[in-house]
Amino acid sequence: MMQPLFIRTTLLVSALAGSIGLSAQSDCTDYHKFNCERSPDTRFSLNGQSKSASVQVGVPTELNIIVYKGQDYRISLAHDARILGDNLSIRLVEKVREPKAVEETVTEKQAVLDAEGNPTGQEKDLVRSEKKTVYEDVRKVLWDNGEHDMASEIEFSATSSKRLIVEVMAPGATEGKNKKDVDIGCVGILIEHMATPNIGF
Amino acid sequence: MTRPHFVILASLAVGLTACGGGGGEEQPAGQGQELVIGGDDAAAMASSLYQMPTPNELFAIVRDMAGEGQKRMMNPASNVDRYASLPARALNFGVYATDLVYASYFNLNVEVVRYYLAVKKLGEKVGVQGAFNDNDFVRLEANLTRGNNDSLEAISNEAYYKAYSKLQQEDMGPTLALVLAGGWVESMHLVMHQIISFDPASPLTSRVAEQKVSLEHLLDLMEQYKEDPNVRPWHERLAAIRDIFDHLETKRVPHDGKSSSGRMVLGDDVQVNLTAEQYDQLYKAVEQLREEIVRPEDQASVKPNA
Repeated sequence: MMQPLFIRTTLLVSALAGSIGLSAQSDCTDYHKFNCERSPDTRFSLNGQSKSASVQVGVPTELNIIVYKGQDYRISLAHDARILGDNLSIRLVEKVREPKAVEETVTEKQAVLDAEGNPTGQEKDLVRSEKKTVYEDVRKVLWDNGEHDMASEIEFSATSSKRLIVEVMAPGATEGKNKKDVDIGCVGILIEHMATPNIGF
Repeated sequence: MTRPHFVILASLAVGLTACGGGGGEEQPAGQGQELVIGGDDAAAMASSLYQMPTPNELFAIVRDMAGEGQKRMMNPASNVDRYASLPARALNFGVYATDLVYASYFNLNVEVVRYYLAVKKLGEKVGVQGAFNDNDFVRLEANLTRGNNDSLEAISNEAYYKAYSKLQQEDMGPTLALVLAGGWVESMHLVMHQIISFDPASPLTSRVAEQKVSLEHLLDLMEQYKEDPNVRPWHERLAAIRDIFDHLETKRVPHDGKSSSGRMVLGDDVQVNLTAEQYDQLYKAVEQLREEIVRPEDQASVKPNA
């Protein structure tokens, strides 16, 4: 990953060009770069899977990422509260590919024989069942901010590599002087990582 | 948004909301819960976005366990002009971009410049010319002269990331899918060639086995483009490699307590085991696919890097 000092320099330059940056945010592309605060722990590096997206009120949006074993991650979100509301519903969900036994009906053609066992030229359907293993994705909810005071930031260690989904849904802004008459706003998801450090002696 | 079929176009929305929030306590994995926030009704209209880790994440992890880099394992930079079709160019753009990052992480400094130029050249042909500029190249040369390896890594990653972002922003989904496919195969090829003899207990072997999840993720990403005639054959080939991974023994054990850093551990500990036969099968499948990808389209054979 990019080195922290280099990233910070890049972000500083970006911040200095803030007024120019505002227009770039109109399509949400760099929203996380401008609105999510980096971790004060400088060991965290910016992860290339960070992403911003436009989110519609009431419509779930998923960011699918990979986390690697032996890494610590920090995921933080920012959003336009004037459109999307004060708190986003956020969940981290693991996608697991699991085997599943299924039974399939298989239809085959079989030649019809006459009394002497000779083919009549006709065919009949022979139906049988066949057992096979198929694989499908199962989702397992690992973290839900509804159980954590609607937190918009989480730090965790990955002890194995996983496919993760960051699920986001916006409730919409309540009536107020700052409320906008649109229902699509930007959400930024900033991902940072570092090799899991050891603490203690 | 950059992919209109995924995400509804946004109106201008500029606000500033700090990323605050509390930490998390360890949560038990929940099963049988709603598939998507908002329930099944909401699931039907959910928007999905995919991001792939950049190759440096894997190389940074395996660098300490992998020994020296082997430049002869990289696709010869001299082949760069020998890919004429869009799929071959996109796939090999992914291959060369991965080689570039590999060269920078394994201190193959001279190769960094060579592969930067190869990536830039092929990038122009796949439509991401804006991702590379002369200033970056000057920075690259200056850092090479000073032997500043950290900066070489940073510049290489930046080049990869810019190209990746450009493909997303320009709605070049099928091309991006092929670039990522080429990159995944090349990463596997390079990491597997760091394994001199198979040892099921080796950390490097277990890293190879764990690429099961990155392949599943890649295939998910490619799924939306699999009807594209350029993408379909490569999706099928990668799905065949996933079939090999499907047969690996996988053990899931709930994690007890926090990690060595004191942070919560997310989800179960998962161990994916590879036998020697399965490793061999995987190795052959990856090498065969990689050979098809990097084979120059004029069919003439070129010796690997000396």
